[in-house]
Amino acid sequence: MKSPIYITGLGVISSIGDNVDQTLDNLRKSRTGVDEIKILHTQLKGTLPLAEIKYTNQELAQISGLETWQTRTAQLSMIAAQEAKDSCKIDYSEWRCGFISANTVGGMDRTEDFFKEFIVDNSKGDLHDVVNHDSGDATEIVADKLGMTDYVTTISTACSSSANAIMFGARLIHNDIVDIVIAGGTDSLSRFTLNGFKSLMILDDKPCMPFDENRKGLNLGEGAGYVVLVSERVMKAEGLTPLAMLSGYANANDAYHQTASSPEGNGNYQAMKGALDMTGLEPSAINYINVHGTGTPNNDVSEGMAIMRLFGEKPPVFSSTKAYTGHTLAASGGIEAVLSILAIQHGLIFPNLRFTTQMKEHTFSPQVSLIEGSKVDHVLSNSFGFGGNCSSLIFSKA
Amino acid sequence: MKPLYINGLSCISPQPTFGAEFPFEAKRYDSNRLSCIEPDYAPYIDPKASRRMGRLLKYGTTVGLQALRDAGVGSPDAISTGTGFGLLDDSGKFLKNVTEAEEGVVSPTAFIQSTHNTVSSNIALTVGCKGHNNTFVNKGFSFESALLDAQMLAEENAAMKNILVGAYDETTDYSYTIMKRLRLIREQEIANLDLLQTPGSGTIAGEGAAFFLLSTEKVDTYAILHGSEILYKPTSTDKVKFKLEAFLSRNKLVLSDIDIVISGLCGDAKRDEMLGNLNDNYFTAQTILGYKHLCGEYMTSSAFALWLGSMIAKTGSIPAETIIRDSHRLTSNILIYNVYKNDHAFVLLSK
Repeated sequence: MKSPIYITGLGVISSIGDNVDQTLDNLRKSRTGVDEIKILHTQLKGTLPLAEIKYTNQELAQISGLETWQTRTAQLSMIAAQEAKDSCKIDYSEWRCGFISANTVGGMDRTEDFFKEFIVDNSKGDLHDVVNHDSGDATEIVADKLGMTDYVTTISTACSSSANAIMFGARLIHNDIVDIVIAGGTDSLSRFTLNGFKSLMILDDKPCMPFDENRKGLNLGEGAGYVVLVSERVMKAEGLTPLAMLSGYANANDAYHQTASSPEGNGNYQAMKGALDMTGLEPSAINYINVHGTGTPNNDVSEGMAIMRLFGEKPPVFSSTKAYTGHTLAASGGIEAVLSILAIQHGLIFPNLRFTTQMKEHTFSPQVSLIEGSKVDHVLSNSFGFGGNCSSLIFSKA
Repeated sequence: MKPLYINGLSCISPQPTFGAEFPFEAKRYDSNRLSCIEPDYAPYIDPKASRRMGRLLKYGTTVGLQALRDAGVGSPDAISTGTGFGLLDDSGKFLKNVTEAEEGVVSPTAFIQSTHNTVSSNIALTVGCKGHNNTFVNKGFSFESALLDAQMLAEENAAMKNILVGAYDETTDYSYTIMKRLRLIREQEIANLDLLQTPGSGTIAGEGAAFFLLSTEKVDTYAILHGSEILYKPTSTDKVKFKLEAFLSRNKLVLSDIDIVISGLCGDAKRDEMLGNLNDNYFTAQTILGYKHLCGEYMTSSAFALWLGSMIAKTGSIPAETIIRDSHRLTSNILIYNVYKNDHAFVLLSK
């Protein structure tokens, strides 16, 4: 194992808070962000809930400092990445700095507005709404504003995207390409995504119930989450206090089906096992698993089976925080990385909201109430996506 | 980082690059939109599955599978890919369906296929590759990030012997119309083979897919891939020179060792300014080749350039229509220098 990668800063925005402090407060108070639709312009308003950030794009632009016509994806990314950057007392100009982001939707929230007029008459539609469409665009806008451009890239592997961005960031440091990376992901809600998941019939029309026998599907959410990753050299030279270490990671493919997980969760198992093997820890050393736990029938069975295979019938305490934030897709790995590190920092284990009935396939059930003052030294965070993309990260007390 | 061997490759493009002879005879187009010459997919994709698949998913998957076959590798240890816009046709189709149905009942097929990682995961699914699988989506850095991902994997893990890397993009009716409205495309139709001789405002749209089986072991190798480097928004040619010389030096080379520069000129006078300047005043001793008049401009066109460079390194022949300036050098050390808007990237390979 090479020298460790330290995490020295966090930034997050989601339906449960505009920043790290608000998020922590809402987690402690078991306040969910899942609510009826208020912001997204959609015909589906009133038929199902979402975990929206309750600001219009104009209001977000006030916070982010970007232009109001820039995409919601970029606005969310800017707010969380800036918080992460500012939370560290680092002289960034002294180091090679990278920005590695992730998203699935790119500028779709604006493109779909453009499209309404465009499909009727292709000489119509405001081009401002479509120029920021591609996924790399939000990343470059934010990298420019952060001034972190020695390595810039974007990953899109569906719902595991930002876990892979964090992994790639750590590997860029290991391979001496940069010294500091802000890594994570962002996604905003759009009619495109909402109707896509609706067409797959995996949305719950009530607040979701991850890992519950009676779960019906997921709730979509939006947000962004980033961590500041630094090498040991940066940490020492800048005299920083690390919040945690990234001690293990792995990316595997289920190679089973384009949208479904294998029933035994092969890819999930390989990702968790690969991350654990990298740390050199025994499975029993993991104190908390922040599961992917979307609340779909398929994901939660497969993930649970893989957990049982790796950890036995009595796995570590676990919960899905998607009952708070909804499934924020490409942002989820970044947001849940932030929550995992908050668990280590504050000795907290967050409850799996709304759980009532254990799944018949599993021998265990998630944590249902907040645990405070707990010894949380090692947290496993799972992110699994379409295309069989499975990634796991392990964060450890530094 | 250690170099990797290109032991297999494949390319589908607007040119006869798939399974044809090399050097190929360049195809002339009189339209500003170049589309891929599509092969019979039956030897690669089950015809029943093929009917539901979009064009890019078909040609992307086929090229990935053919690169594996070309190298005689059944399933790689990892797959890493890049795409600028991803599966744009499926995205457009789903958006149209949702808009027209006013968010009523629509089929999920186009939505599923619109996910950026569909090609990479479809190849994994087809050959049962359970290893590392990644997709990068950052404009002109998408392919180079996948190359770096592969090189780092080989560096980190001795078990990583065969890594499949590729890139793919498509132009659709919607995207072409929008690019024209944004004036990224030439106003007047231009013959593609004349594009680089007649600089003007805008370029021509293209598309394509190219995949490479990169290996830590040398087996019937096309070329050696030394590495890649990205350079975001360089403000001056001096910055480019500084970065390039450091890159070459890490690979134990100096500028005079470079025989061929494959240059990402796109025919847009403004966007080509820095490249043209470097070709005239810095790469003075090198043979300069162009390629975007053959495949058109798209975010991952540097994968086409790597295919071209690998074939030149292997055969020692240069397609006549690529030559911008012939300095009659060997075909040993080849530098690809691509520019897509703010994204500059180098890829270095050798015989």
